[in-house]
Amino acid sequence: MSQRPLELILARNLMSALSTPAFLVDEGGLLIFYNEAAGMLLGKRFEELGTVGPEEWGSLFGPFDDSGEPIPYDDLPLVKAVRGGRPAHAELIVRSTDGTQHEVEVSAFPILTPHGSQGAIAVFWPSLAGANGAGPA
Amino acid sequence: MKVKLWGTRGSIPAPGPETIRYGGNTSCVGVTLSDGSLLALDAGTGIRCLGLAHPDEPTRLHILLTHLHLDHIQGLVFFAPAFRPQTEIVIWGPASPEASLRDRIARYISAPLSPVEVRELPCDVSFRHCPESEWEIGPARIRAASVAHRGPTLGYRIDDGDSSLTYIPDHEPALGADLEALEEDWISGFALAQDTSLLIHDGQYTDAEYPAHVGWGHSALEHSLSFARRTGAERTVLFHHDPLHSDELLDALAVEAKERWTELGGDPAAVELAAERSEYELPARAANAATSAV
Repeated sequence: MSQRPLELILARNLMSALSTPAFLVDEGGLLIFYNEAAGMLLGKRFEELGTVGPEEWGSLFGPFDDSGEPIPYDDLPLVKAVRGGRPAHAELIVRSTDGTQHEVEVSAFPILTPHGSQGAIAVFWPSLAGANGAGPA
Repeated sequence: MKVKLWGTRGSIPAPGPETIRYGGNTSCVGVTLSDGSLLALDAGTGIRCLGLAHPDEPTRLHILLTHLHLDHIQGLVFFAPAFRPQTEIVIWGPASPEASLRDRIARYISAPLSPVEVRELPCDVSFRHCPESEWEIGPARIRAASVAHRGPTLGYRIDDGDSSLTYIPDHEPALGADLEALEEDWISGFALAQDTSLLIHDGQYTDAEYPAHVGWGHSALEHSLSFARRTGAERTVLFHHDPLHSDELLDALAVEAKERWTELGGDPAAVELAAERSEYELPARAANAATSAV
């Protein structure tokens, strides 16, 4: 069987213990885990969703810019982190399953190992610039 | 494949009358492959006795280090074959971005900690970082993978014929995780141990001791048994005993392990605690590759 790299296993274990919403993608950009806090933000637990690619993720939750336009995949902090091997930060809007929009700040950083980049972690905070839970989309 | 436990203790040697049956030497397992070639898993103080048991041979052997904590390398400078010019020793271990395997080991085999330097060892010694992919030593296929412990640490799987040995002496797979609930591919070390014939696994703490040692890189009994059950190991030997654990305590822990393994639906004979000098034979060709104690 294929085994997740240890660095991703440890990242997931840490994220599971955090009360800050956090997301984990693999080196190919697949969303492979998010924690309970992220599940509360999105309105859906990871166990209900499972591993998903960027297209499905985008159709479910966005993200959107402040004008409501979907943010191109290449411009997402997680994607920048996993592809560029550098941290990335952005303010954006995610949409939960009940349609509520959340203005958040996102910091993403790559998981670099002796064998190269294995993925990236993104942590979300409510945006200071706007109200959290801005209302139905 | 024949397996002999030369050192079963963790952290620091614990010699004395209270540890005489399970042993006081630190981690070392000798593995004789089906073609007669010899491997040593780790080089704790137990490797000194392994060396003494082979006074004239082998001329070539491999030492597979899980990591470089002192209890896993302390015996290197007291390993008799290292002082024979006709011996070739290949030492495998984890890579680190900080320094080569040779340079990291040389921090121990050098003044003031050691009377000899690596360059002074009479044997022909070489150091190799374990590759990501499987490789071969004699008739065996060797696989190494990073496992949850403190610092760069590997577990090993050795497949020889129909039998396999998995060695993960320092392992905390339950750190921040529920082993019973996790998917298999998210369990540290799972692929190394899946359906293995013989699993030698960290069993340092009792369940009562573990909460005071979370994050120290070791398992409680509950975690070791859960890991063994999830991976489907045919036989499990709990290893790396805490230096404070006396023979009397380990006897009680062995009874508890068998009872709890039975409650999990397993055969109580398939779980035991590692005792120094214990031997296991894993048939190279067998219908079910069952292990037998020698």
